[in-house]
Amino acid sequence: MRFVIDVGKCIDCGGCWVACKDINDVETGIERIRIVTLNEGKTGEKSVPIQCFHCDHPACMLVCPQEAITKRDDGIVLVNQDKCVGCRYCLWACPYGTPQFKKMGSVMEKCTYCVERIDSGLRPACGGFCATKAIFVGKSASEADAKASSIGAARVKGPTNPDAAYKGVTL
Amino acid sequence: MATKPDSIVGCSNIKMSRRTFSKLTAIGTAAALGGIGLSKYDHTIDKLIEQASATTSSGVNHIKTICSHCALGCGLLGKVENGVLTGIEPWEDHPINAGSLCSKGAAIREIVNSETRLKYPMKKSGGKWHRISWEEALDEIAAKMKDIKATDGPDSIFYLGSAKVTNEECYLFRKFAAFNGTNNVDHQARICHSTTVAGMANTWSFGAMTNSWNDMRHSKLIFFCGENAAASHPVAMQHILEGKARGAKFIVADPRFTKSAALADMYVRFRPGTDIPFIWGICNEIVKNNWHDTDFIEKRTYGFDQWWDVVKDYTPEVVEDITWVKADTIRELAYEWAHTSPACICWAMGATQHTVGTNNIRSFACLELLTGNVGKSGGGCNAFRGHDNVQGATDMCVLSHWLPSYYGLTEGSWKHWVGVWNEHAPITYDNMKAEFAEYNGKSLMHVPGLTVSRWYEGVLDSSVAQPKPVKMVFVWGHSLNSITEMKRMKEAMEKVDLVVGIDPHATVASSLADRPDGIIVLPASTVFEKDGSVSNSARQVQWRNRLIDPLYESKSDYWIMKELATRLGFGPHFTYNSPEDVLREINRGANVIMMRESPERIKRQQEHSSDFSIEDCQAKSGPCKGEYWGLPWPCWNDEHPGTPLLYRNDIPIAEGGSEFRTRFRGKDSTAGNPVSDDGISMLGAGYAHPEGYDEMNSDGTPGSGWKYDLDSDWKGIIAENKCPSGAGKARFMAWNLPDPIPVHREPIETPRPDLIDKYPTYDDVDDHFRVKCLFKTIQDERKNLVDTYPIILSSGRQVEHMGGGAETRSCKYLVELQPENYVEINPGLASEIGARHWDYVWVETLRGRIKVRAYVTERVNRETAFIPYHWAGWMEGKSYEDRYPSGTAELALGDSVNIICVDGYDRSTNMQETKACLCKIYKV
Repeated sequence: MRFVIDVGKCIDCGGCWVACKDINDVETGIERIRIVTLNEGKTGEKSVPIQCFHCDHPACMLVCPQEAITKRDDGIVLVNQDKCVGCRYCLWACPYGTPQFKKMGSVMEKCTYCVERIDSGLRPACGGFCATKAIFVGKSASEADAKASSIGAARVKGPTNPDAAYKGVTL
Repeated sequence: MATKPDSIVGCSNIKMSRRTFSKLTAIGTAAALGGIGLSKYDHTIDKLIEQASATTSSGVNHIKTICSHCALGCGLLGKVENGVLTGIEPWEDHPINAGSLCSKGAAIREIVNSETRLKYPMKKSGGKWHRISWEEALDEIAAKMKDIKATDGPDSIFYLGSAKVTNEECYLFRKFAAFNGTNNVDHQARICHSTTVAGMANTWSFGAMTNSWNDMRHSKLIFFCGENAAASHPVAMQHILEGKARGAKFIVADPRFTKSAALADMYVRFRPGTDIPFIWGICNEIVKNNWHDTDFIEKRTYGFDQWWDVVKDYTPEVVEDITWVKADTIRELAYEWAHTSPACICWAMGATQHTVGTNNIRSFACLELLTGNVGKSGGGCNAFRGHDNVQGATDMCVLSHWLPSYYGLTEGSWKHWVGVWNEHAPITYDNMKAEFAEYNGKSLMHVPGLTVSRWYEGVLDSSVAQPKPVKMVFVWGHSLNSITEMKRMKEAMEKVDLVVGIDPHATVASSLADRPDGIIVLPASTVFEKDGSVSNSARQVQWRNRLIDPLYESKSDYWIMKELATRLGFGPHFTYNSPEDVLREINRGANVIMMRESPERIKRQQEHSSDFSIEDCQAKSGPCKGEYWGLPWPCWNDEHPGTPLLYRNDIPIAEGGSEFRTRFRGKDSTAGNPVSDDGISMLGAGYAHPEGYDEMNSDGTPGSGWKYDLDSDWKGIIAENKCPSGAGKARFMAWNLPDPIPVHREPIETPRPDLIDKYPTYDDVDDHFRVKCLFKTIQDERKNLVDTYPIILSSGRQVEHMGGGAETRSCKYLVELQPENYVEINPGLASEIGARHWDYVWVETLRGRIKVRAYVTERVNRETAFIPYHWAGWMEGKSYEDRYPSGTAELALGDSVNIICVDGYDRSTNMQETKACLCKIYKV
């Protein structure tokens, strides 16, 4: 497990979103992380950060006709944009609407888990800058597992076995 | 998160462009920049590359610095490659933010490298903008200043200063106005927390946040009243939510269900402009149940009985009728306040920007006194200041009624500062006095000047209480669209001889006035292109390191001031070897707040940041052991650890203890015996001295010498467990204020005309900071306005934008999140006016109308509408983008809510009212 998110702490400030854009040079119109607001303006309002869950059994990878999507040994799911032809099968398959396309014909892009940062020992952008520490992103799976159990976050359930845990909302 | 993510493509007023600078070093050639829309700035790109290659430090450096957005003072690491800012990284052991940043902080690289920055001095003449040299610009400005001073007098120039520059520059800016012979100098604090300062200082000595950001981790009740930290101070929520996780009750009282309210344990909606009855209702119930802290009140406060005589009438039922809050809810809140300690109260513009702003804050402070929560960890009054250095700019008193460190405009104060200035370059009190004009037989040296909120009346109002109206204005690091009555201001800017805008961006200073000439804009460098100290809201002074050299032809505000001073004949007074030298001069003279934080000590703290605890900001080991982060003032000497909690008197002064000053002295007071106007002793129980003691001279005798002695280190007095500023009482009753005890007063434009007779606003004032200010006349004229303008209009913050928005609306990321201005309206109202989400609507008041998107949401109720205030570039639906110098308009423009906010002002400080006026809304 890598992403551990405490929804009770997310204030929807957009720090993760901007840090992700800036560090990964993400184009206008593409969102590798989103914050979804539920019950806006009412009791029970929640802001839920969502990005690629780097599932154990990625549906996107399964359906990709180009074999452009791969999963590394450490669990990180990546898309090879040179192989991608923009067919969008992955978008149909992903239960969480993660794959992003700039426009018709564009190749897919999504959260890379800031793989270059992970490989050089740095924390991914969203978790590194989160204003309230609502988003925790482990440098390793064991670090994240420990965090999840310490705050009582539950792993997201689903056929793809998403590699993320949330506290305060059931996905 | 984004207002309407899919709307971005359809937004006609946004220009998107590719990022350039971060790729610069990676790509490394000018050719690589071709084809991405930058060819018009070829020469500046060349310059940048030249700078990059010329820098001596090659490779990657991570430099500790301080965020430039809100007043939290978050740390971050600037990633600098070959002299170019290519990214930022978390400063993980920074004791305030532990690496965290919000959307604006995370955008700093993009903001610094913004393509829309003003790149060189520009002058408007013949209806067009022309590039000019610094030499030409400064010569022309200085010549005009001399000319106006000679013909109209020094008060005909208004110096609108900034909370977004360093402490050193703020200090020098106030000094600059003094050397130019005027008190017509002011800055953002006037329109953000001037009422906080007046309200708290008149209750218990100082006007600053009593506790700190981190200290809220230890609260048991965190009470927001007119504060939305999730949007305005995002990282503060880290500490608040930690406090909540440890069992604190988090209550948000606000007219609007904010993102902060979403995370609260309890939300209370109350009517804009009714803070005082709301708080008095809580106090009323506490006293009736005998839940108040009688011991604290007896030993450390004055005026409780007179206060109760007023507050006894605000029963929960009376309050329900005024505020929308049910009597039972008031009782529940009173119970919480009385049975949960420590409890802190937090606010920002929601409380301050009212005609009764000072009274609002007084009521909060009285609630803290009543429950004995002030002076405790986890308690206190936490005024969340706005701009990154607005506390510092307030401390340096870029204000028309004070000299640096809250010295009044008396002869003694002037002599104190002239004495300090004379140590740098020769000047006497008589020299200084000769620079000032007289009016009505009195030297204007001793008369408060015009304020930010109404400076334009100094141009337009021929009866202005000074020799001649204002003819020239410096807009020096201030967004004019944060000031109300923008149409009056536009008129004034078209009438003056010269407008000088100084800012990293061209801003509204360049574009608001519709005139063919008479505007000069100068590119100031950003805060990341110079060194200096900044003070956050918690009085913590931090050193902000320069990340890169100034981009383009931009220059530091200090350099610009020095060049002007040289041309005006007082250059030596503004010539320093380093910002450190300026800070040492501040350290020497700023006795009232005892700002003795030396550059060496605050830089040492920066180096050893990992030794400081996030729990209380104290260093637990290392060379700074025992010190508090930022040495929060008062910091009495070079061994003092700073005062993290004001008025905490259960620990020695030497360890950061503090007392209420013996500041309030009625007419019969003598040295050693301060008494109220009705003869009651104002000595209050102090640490180790239960009988209290008066303020003292450096030899320990009673007197006000502590404010003026430049050489004492106070160590002897502090060793006796005494505070040199005395141990006195806080005031429930402030006899010198227009309302010694706050009472409810309906807003100028009220939805409850039936309450005006019982709760009227103030009488008109003829000379309120030199201009006439109408209260009762306009309230009476508009008594039945609600019949035609039925909706209450309030303004406030978006998390993605800051202040007037020139920086953030120039950042493509932040603009992608918040591309256009909008009005939040309730679904019920939307349905009534036939507006769907994101339709354009007009919001109209007596001042005019603005065109914004309709944001349909239940955040607001049927009676209220809300508009963010960061927007500019349109005037009543029409873009004035063509009036900016080419390429300098922000990426996103919009109509400003301050075009339509009410013309009401605080009776004590001239704070503008932005939270309670009446409007009507209809579809475009």
